[in-house]
Amino acid sequence: MFKKVDLSIDFLGIHLDSPFVLSAAPPTDELEMAEHGLEEGWAGVILKTTSVEGNPVELKNPMMSSFGPMSRKVVGLGNIDLISHHHIDVVSSRVEYLKKKFPNKMIAASIMGASKEDWQNLVYRLKKAGADLIECSFSCPQGSMGEEPGKMLAQSIEATEKVTRWVKEAADTTPVLIKITPQVTDIVEVAKAVKRGGADGITASNTIPSLLGVDIYTFEPYPSLFGSGAYSGLSGPAIKPITLRTIAEIAKNVDIVISGNGGAFNWRDAVEFMAVGASNVQFCTLPMHYGFRSIRDLKSGFEHYLKEMGFKSPSEIVGKALKNIKNQEDLVNPKTRSDIDLDRCIGCGLCYAACNDGGHMAISFDSKTRKPYVNEEKCTGCAMCMQVCPVDAIKMKEVLDSNEYYFVERR
Amino acid sequence: MGRNLDLTQALIEAERCLYCYDAPCEKACPAHVPIPEFIQSIRTGNLKGSMELITLANPSIGVCGEVCPEEQFCQSVCTRSAIDYPIKIRELHKFVTDNVKLTDLELQLPPLNGKKVAIIGGGPAGLACARELRRFGVKPVIFEKKELGGIPAQEISKERLPYNIVREEAKQILTLFGAEVKDKKISDLQDLLGEFDAIFVATGLTEELELDIKGVNLQNVHTARKLLKTIKSSLRTDVGKRVGVIGGGNVAVEVAAALKREDPSRDVEVVYRRGLKELKAFKDEIDEALELGVGFQFLAIPVEIKGENSVEGLVVRRARLGAPDESGRRVFEEVEGSDFFIPYTDIVIAIGQKAQEIFPEIKKTHNGLIEVNENFETSVKGVFAGGDIVRGASTIVESVSDGKKAAIAILQYLQGGKNV
Ligand SMILES: Cc1cc2nc3c(=O)[nH]c(=O)nc-3n(C[C@H](O)[C@H](O)[C@H](O)COP(=O)(O)O)c2cc1C
Ligand code: SF4
Ligand code: SF4
Ligand code: SF4
Repeated sequence: MFKKVDLSIDFLGIHLDSPFVLSAAPPTDELEMAEHGLEEGWAGVILKTTSVEGNPVELKNPMMSSFGPMSRKVVGLGNIDLISHHHIDVVSSRVEYLKKKFPNKMIAASIMGASKEDWQNLVYRLKKAGADLIECSFSCPQGSMGEEPGKMLAQSIEATEKVTRWVKEAADTTPVLIKITPQVTDIVEVAKAVKRGGADGITASNTIPSLLGVDIYTFEPYPSLFGSGAYSGLSGPAIKPITLRTIAEIAKNVDIVISGNGGAFNWRDAVEFMAVGASNVQFCTLPMHYGFRSIRDLKSGFEHYLKEMGFKSPSEIVGKALKNIKNQEDLVNPKTRSDIDLDRCIGCGLCYAACNDGGHMAISFDSKTRKPYVNEEKCTGCAMCMQVCPVDAIKMKEVLDSNEYYFVERR
Repeated sequence: MGRNLDLTQALIEAERCLYCYDAPCEKACPAHVPIPEFIQSIRTGNLKGSMELITLANPSIGVCGEVCPEEQFCQSVCTRSAIDYPIKIRELHKFVTDNVKLTDLELQLPPLNGKKVAIIGGGPAGLACARELRRFGVKPVIFEKKELGGIPAQEISKERLPYNIVREEAKQILTLFGAEVKDKKISDLQDLLGEFDAIFVATGLTEELELDIKGVNLQNVHTARKLLKTIKSSLRTDVGKRVGVIGGGNVAVEVAAALKREDPSRDVEVVYRRGLKELKAFKDEIDEALELGVGFQFLAIPVEIKGENSVEGLVVRRARLGAPDESGRRVFEEVEGSDFFIPYTDIVIAIGQKAQEIFPEIKKTHNGLIEVNENFETSVKGVFAGGDIVRGASTIVESVSDGKKAAIAILQYLQGGKNV
C-alpha cells in the first residue's frame, strides 16, 4: 500500500538488498537460524567464525553477562564465547545450501586459522562451496594468533599484513574482509597493513575486551563460573561511540571499503556508521536481544529517513560526515550561553546540581518557584546542564552578528 | 479524550514496552495492530514507519486512537502488568496518529481491475471494507443516506471524539482510496447485484429498543441516540433539570455525561438494574461520567413513568443480585414491595439498539441480526455482511476488523465466483 524505496547497494561487487547483514556470531551459528534471519529480511549472513577440523573449540557456559539500567535492558553485552564449534566441513556445506536457497542474498563465512596452511585451506574450501565473501577474524578477544597466545592478530601490524596476504592469495577474486579490533595504539596503521596485504575491505570492528562487572559481596567477576571469570568481549549500544571513531579514523586516512560493526542498535546508528564511512552495517547484539524481526524497523526507519532527506540510494550517505570531523584545535570557538526554557522546565534541579558541582557554578535555583536561572557572566556554555535536563529544556545559545544560533545535540 | 503525549513522554512510555515476542496485546486487538513493532518504531523515532504499521492493520486509526476501549482489548493482557502496569498502548497509538498524517506517506495502489462492490452503510465496517477492497484493485461504492462515519460521526460526543478526526478519516477513504458515495436508500438487493460484483451490508443498528412500561409515551420521554445526535450537531436539547437515564451500557453512560456537560446544574442519574460491577459501559467512560457528577441508581428496576402529560417521575423497584448466569454476569431479582418514587423532569431510554427490518431475502437470527458464515457470507450469494448488523452492538475496532476481513473474503469470492 505504501511506496517503497530501493535500499539495495553494491558491496564489493555483491548485491545487497539493504545494507544490513548479520555478523559472524550466534545468530548465524546454526543453519536454521541463518535461514530464519534471511527469511525475515536480512540482506545477508556472515556465518560464525569457523576453523580447521583439528582446532578444538571448548566453550564455557554461562558465557554471557550484561549491564544496563534498572529496567533490565541490555546496554552492554559481554561474552566469553569462542569461535564456532562447527568446523569447516559443516560450514562449507551450509554455504552451499544457503547459496542455493537464497541466491539473491549474501552468503559469507568467517574464518580463523593458526598457520598459513590453515588459513588458505579454509579459504579454498569456502570458495569451492560458493561463498560470496570471506571475512577473517583477526580480533576475537578470546582467541589468539597462534604464535602469541592472548594477543589478537590485528594487534600486530606485521602479522596483520602477512596473514592478509596469505588469505587474499588463496581467495583470489573472492572478496576478503579483515575484521579488526579497536584495541590498538593506532588503528590507521592496522588499516594500512590490511590494505598492503591486499584485502578488499575492513570490518571495523569487533567486540572490545572488557570486564563486565564484579559481585561486590563475593568478589566474583561476571560471568562467574563457580567463582571465577574471564575478560569478556563487549558488544551492543555501549560500544557504538568507539566503533564510530574507529570507522571514521580509517575512512579519513585509508582508501579501503569498510563494513561497520559494533554497537549499532537501530537504523539511526546505521546511518551514523555510514555517515562516517561504512558502506554497510553488520548487527549481532540487536538480533540477539530482540530477534531477527528487528530488521523490519531497521529497514522501515532507514527508508523513511532516505526519503525525507531526498537521498536516492543508501550509498549516497557514505562518508557524508567525515569532512566535519576535525581536530579540536581546528574548531571555531563559539561564545555560547545556557538558555533555559522555563515553560518546559519541570523544576528537578538537575542542571543546578550539574553546573554547581560539575560545571562553572553559573546556575542558581529558586526553591520557592523551583526554577533554575543562568548567570550569564559565569556561564561558559560548556553544555553540561543540557546533557542532564530530562525534558530538553536547555539549549546553548550564541548571539553572533545579531543572529541567534542554538546548539541542541544531547545524545 | 486520551492524553496527548509529547515526544519525551512517548519515548519514555515506548521504552517501557518489552517488545514481547508472541505479543498478547497484538492478539487481543481485534484489528491485530502489530503493537510491539509499532512501539519499537516509536522508540527509534521512525514515526512514519510506525504509522504505516498501524494504518495497514486498522483503517480507522484516528477514531480508535481516541475511543478504543483499550482496557477491554490490548492493554488488558499486556505482559508489562506482571512488572508494574500495562503500556499505554492507545495513547502511543494516538501519539503516532496525531503526529503523522496518512497524506505524509506515499500511497501506492494497484490499478482498478474492473470489479465493483457495493457497500451499504458508511460506518466503520463499511469504510474499512471500502479501503481494503481498493487496496487490492476493486472499486468500492458506498451507499449512505446520512453522514459518512456512522456512530462515531453521529453519536459519540465531541468531547470524547473530535469531529474532524472522523470526518478526515472518512474523507481519506474517498479521496485517497477513490471510494464513491451514493446517497440512495437500497431496498432491493437484486438490482444492485446486477450492477455490482458483490455487496457488503454494514448498516449497523439503527432502531432503539423500546421499554415496555407504563408512561413511555409521555412528553419528556426521550430516546438516547436522538439526544446524542442533537448534541453532536451542536444543538441544545430541551431536557429539563432532573433526568433519569434508563440503561447500563455505553450509550446510557454517554448520554448521561453529555447531558451533564450541556448543563452542569442539571441532575443526571443513570438508573440501572444491576450494580457497578455489572455495568456494561467502558471503564474510562464511567470514570468520566463520575467526574462530571453523573449519579447512579444501582439495583433499580423501572416499573412505571408517572405523570399527566409530562414526566413527573419514575417508580422504581429494588433489585438484588442473584447467581451468575451462563455468561458469568449475575442476574437480578426483584424485591417485592420495595417500590419507590424518584422525581424526574425527563426520562431518557437507553436500553440498547436493534436491527431495522431490511432485506427480507437475507436470513436473520431471532434478534433480527443478519446471519453470516465464517466468511461473512449471508444466505444470499454474493452478499456479505459485517459490523453491528451481524454482531449486535459492539465496538468500532470490531466493526473495522469485520470490514477488513470481509473485504478479503469478498476478494476471494471475486476470484472464484461466477462473476469473474
Ligand atoms: C556471543 C558472541 C559471539 C561472537 N562470536 C564471533 C565470532 O565467532 N566471530 C566474529 O568475528 N565475531 C564474533 N562476535 C562479534 C560480533 O560479530 C560483532 O562483531 C560484535 O558483537 C559487535 O557488534 P554488535 O554490537 O552489533 O553486537 C561475537 C559476538 C558475540 C556477542
Ligand atoms: S538463551 Fe536459550 S540456550 Fe541460552 S540459556 Fe537461555 S534457554 Fe538456554
Ligand atoms: S534540568 Fe531541566 S527540568 Fe530540571 S531544573 Fe534544569 S532546566 Fe528545569
Ligand atoms: S504486551 Fe505490553 S509489553 Fe508486551 S509488546 Fe505488548 S505492549 Fe509491549
